[in-house]
Amino acid sequence: MGLTRSAVEAMAPDQGALTAAAALLKPSKWPVRARAGGLIWGECQGSGANPYRVVADTDEHGSKCTCPSRKFPCKHALALMWLFVDDGATFQDAEIPAWVNDWMGRRRKGAAPPRTDAPGDAKSMSAARDVTAETPPDPKAEARKQAAADKRAQETRQSVRAATEDLDGWLDDQLRTGLPGFLKEASERCRRIAARLVDAKAGALASRIDEMPARLLDLPGEERIDGAIAELGKLALLTRAWRAAPDDPDLRREVVGSETREDVLADPGAPRVHSLWEVLGERVLTRRDGLVSQATWLMNLAPDQQRFAVLLDFFPASAGRRSGAFVPGERFKAELAFYPARAPLRAVIARRDESTDALDVWPVAGADPLADLAEQALASPWRIDMPVLLPKGRICAETSGRAWWRSDDGVVVPVRKPIPTLAYGAHIERAAGVWDGARLALIAAQTNWGRLGFDAGT
Amino acid sequence: MQELEASLARVRSAWMAGRSALDHCPAEWRDAVAGQHGDAGLAALTGHATTVLFRTAPTTVLEPRPLLPALALPVMAEALRPRFRRILSAKGGPSIERHLVDLIAARGRSVHPADWLPSPTDDWVPDLYVPWLDWVRSETPAIDGHGALAVETYDRWSWAERRAELARLRLADPAAALAIIAAKAPSEPAERRLRLLEILETNLSESDAEFLEGLAKDRSERVQAVTRAYLARLGRSSDGADLATELADMVALGKVGLIKRRTRFVIKSLKTSAQNARRRELFTLVSVSALARALGVSEQQLVEAPPDGPADGIEAFAQMMAATGSDAALRALLNGMLADDSTPVSHLRALTSRLSATERQALLPQIMARDAEGLETTLAIAGRELGAMPIAPLLASPTYTALSRLLDQLNVDDPHRASNNTALGAALNRIALLLDAPGATDLVARIGIWGVSPADPKLDLLHLNAALTTETKS
Repeated sequence: MGLTRSAVEAMAPDQGALTAAAALLKPSKWPVRARAGGLIWGECQGSGANPYRVVADTDEHGSKCTCPSRKFPCKHALALMWLFVDDGATFQDAEIPAWVNDWMGRRRKGAAPPRTDAPGDAKSMSAARDVTAETPPDPKAEARKQAAADKRAQETRQSVRAATEDLDGWLDDQLRTGLPGFLKEASERCRRIAARLVDAKAGALASRIDEMPARLLDLPGEERIDGAIAELGKLALLTRAWRAAPDDPDLRREVVGSETREDVLADPGAPRVHSLWEVLGERVLTRRDGLVSQATWLMNLAPDQQRFAVLLDFFPASAGRRSGAFVPGERFKAELAFYPARAPLRAVIARRDESTDALDVWPVAGADPLADLAEQALASPWRIDMPVLLPKGRICAETSGRAWWRSDDGVVVPVRKPIPTLAYGAHIERAAGVWDGARLALIAAQTNWGRLGFDAGT
Repeated sequence: MQELEASLARVRSAWMAGRSALDHCPAEWRDAVAGQHGDAGLAALTGHATTVLFRTAPTTVLEPRPLLPALALPVMAEALRPRFRRILSAKGGPSIERHLVDLIAARGRSVHPADWLPSPTDDWVPDLYVPWLDWVRSETPAIDGHGALAVETYDRWSWAERRAELARLRLADPAAALAIIAAKAPSEPAERRLRLLEILETNLSESDAEFLEGLAKDRSERVQAVTRAYLARLGRSSDGADLATELADMVALGKVGLIKRRTRFVIKSLKTSAQNARRRELFTLVSVSALARALGVSEQQLVEAPPDGPADGIEAFAQMMAATGSDAALRALLNGMLADDSTPVSHLRALTSRLSATERQALLPQIMARDAEGLETTLAIAGRELGAMPIAPLLASPTYTALSRLLDQLNVDDPHRASNNTALGAALNRIALLLDAPGATDLVARIGIWGVSPADPKLDLLHLNAALTTETKS
């Protein structure tokens, strides 16, 4: 049962999906397209920061994509199959990667049942292509849109200003009425103020406050008071900074919300770094608001440049578990566009070359990682997660079991658990982690046993 | 700095007590946050100062653990590690952790410690991993210069090390191993006494009898049982004649062969399940030599022909022979049962447990040719010597016929497809553990004819086997 145009049309859930797929047929959208046996796979740069991984079985017409779409097959899977039936020769023969193997292990074998479309619901790839032909913009309509957007932005600014002043009062109340009481009721109190902030369109600030109780409860009891002071203090800094410069993109991102990928790519002020990047690892967190955040941490292997980048995506938890976009340890050359900030970190991939087996070693780390963290804290004092590169050292445990990283020079940093057993018996040549103000969450390390991931199985 | 620290402590105390902290902060800070919501502003300064100026310190001295020692064999190739991890974490079938670790060791490689480390209770691991076992148990690692294992140096070795070394010594110099075990076993706890005693099974001889007789009244019943079995093998059975007579009444001796008349041990059909249960119990309590005496024959006469009777009785007899039979009687019974097609292959499992690895390896093609029960028995008999069988015996075996049937059903839409798929995966894993690397490669190609994708995870272990190169063990 080979793959044909009519088979792809039959699989499409609706004409809209085919139309969306037609917009993804540019080869530049697909830095990776490969095949082996009856399998084809590729990586498509969609609207998220992380690329989507797509695999399809050309014999049984099964497919899988890491995008959060509820349509099946999604536009990415349809586009991959469409590209294949149009010109299969552009798919390189390759070894089957591990993530394709993983999909094969989880999938339910067998072809999807043929879709029964209602009369009049005929789907056509040709029609989909026609729709995607670009139509010239209407200057008057564009001007109207812009005016409406400016008006909305003005209203949002006023609403958010009032909300940040409200938040300052709330912060004051939590401190003056006693932090033990705040910690006891943190969940309810934070949820209430977060709801008010959502109403006032300060969505990013609301999410941050909504997640604060979880961060505090994650600390040992004796550290929660200091943790609460640090968290509340950062919020106070942020509200004051934003009111002083509401158009600052860095601050707006922390208070209101992020720019889109397209905004960043179109922004001439967004710093761009073309380099060799290593995927350190991925951190996936399910938030209280029902969203899952997927953060892929990258490290620049070139010296004297922007050291770290994070590709950050959010998708609904109801979309199910999403496979990682990269394999930890994977290296690729790419141009990243960073969201403009005092200490740029969040980025999107502007242009990506194929993965490489480059053997570049990890860059040299400063002798005192805490000094590096203090500098980052001075540049962006409201930031919660700060990446850091650690020099040679060991992971040690106190008699209480609390874990620490200790440099060969004696600098110590508390480390978040769990830690792979091997880490306690390995000499850490270099390590990368994320400091949250209380603990260092290690992501990956170079050791005398090779690369060591701090997520299970990496 | 100390003044600031004291000031921050007062600020903290005020917020803990539920009052404004503005009166407790440095004066210049108070000026900076003066106005509405002063405490919030003060929290900004306090939090930031704590983050930048102060560092957390451990409450005790940090002493790193010793480095994980390197092993005698090289770690498997980096490219194979993801597949290894996937196999190890696969769900839905029986765990193959032990077999997987053995297969890799048999191919002269070790597992990467980031992918797998033994747990402290994993006494089953190959000797190769003894240094890691010591490390995860936080036992004092052996240091160079602790000398050869002897009674005097025994306590300088870790438990896992000394056990592995004693097993090696028992092969090379049985008397030396016995001397150490005899001197040190009494001071070990019961579980370890048992493990030490098991080492004596290799090259068991008359010179071990005196020590074993000394253990006949050991505090541990398990130690006593093993001791009795070993003594029985040496012809020094001490079991009661009355039990042997009771068992003899439940069996019989017949004759087979037209020209050469041979004795056949017959297990009678009994009327009640209680009687059957009692007989199974007696098979574990009576030694072969005592039973032979009760029947008025020699051990060799008991096994002149394959035994006859109900399957559970024959299995119990085979287990009795494995535990207490002499070497000669055990081999005679094994050969007879191997030649007898009507004997279920699973009955051979107990009998082969006392054979050397080389002997068991030589038997595998014959066992596989008879094994129609999913290769469980073949795998058990192979022991640690995995990944060495050529494909030819497999292709002629009932297992391959069953495998072909499962593969035929793979493309048929039937309600049992999911369970067939699981069964196919388990069967392929067992085959993959037995085949040599060319055999594994050959089988992957053959399975491709049925349309199974090379990326199918059911083939993972075959792929891993094919890619593991054989190295001479040091």
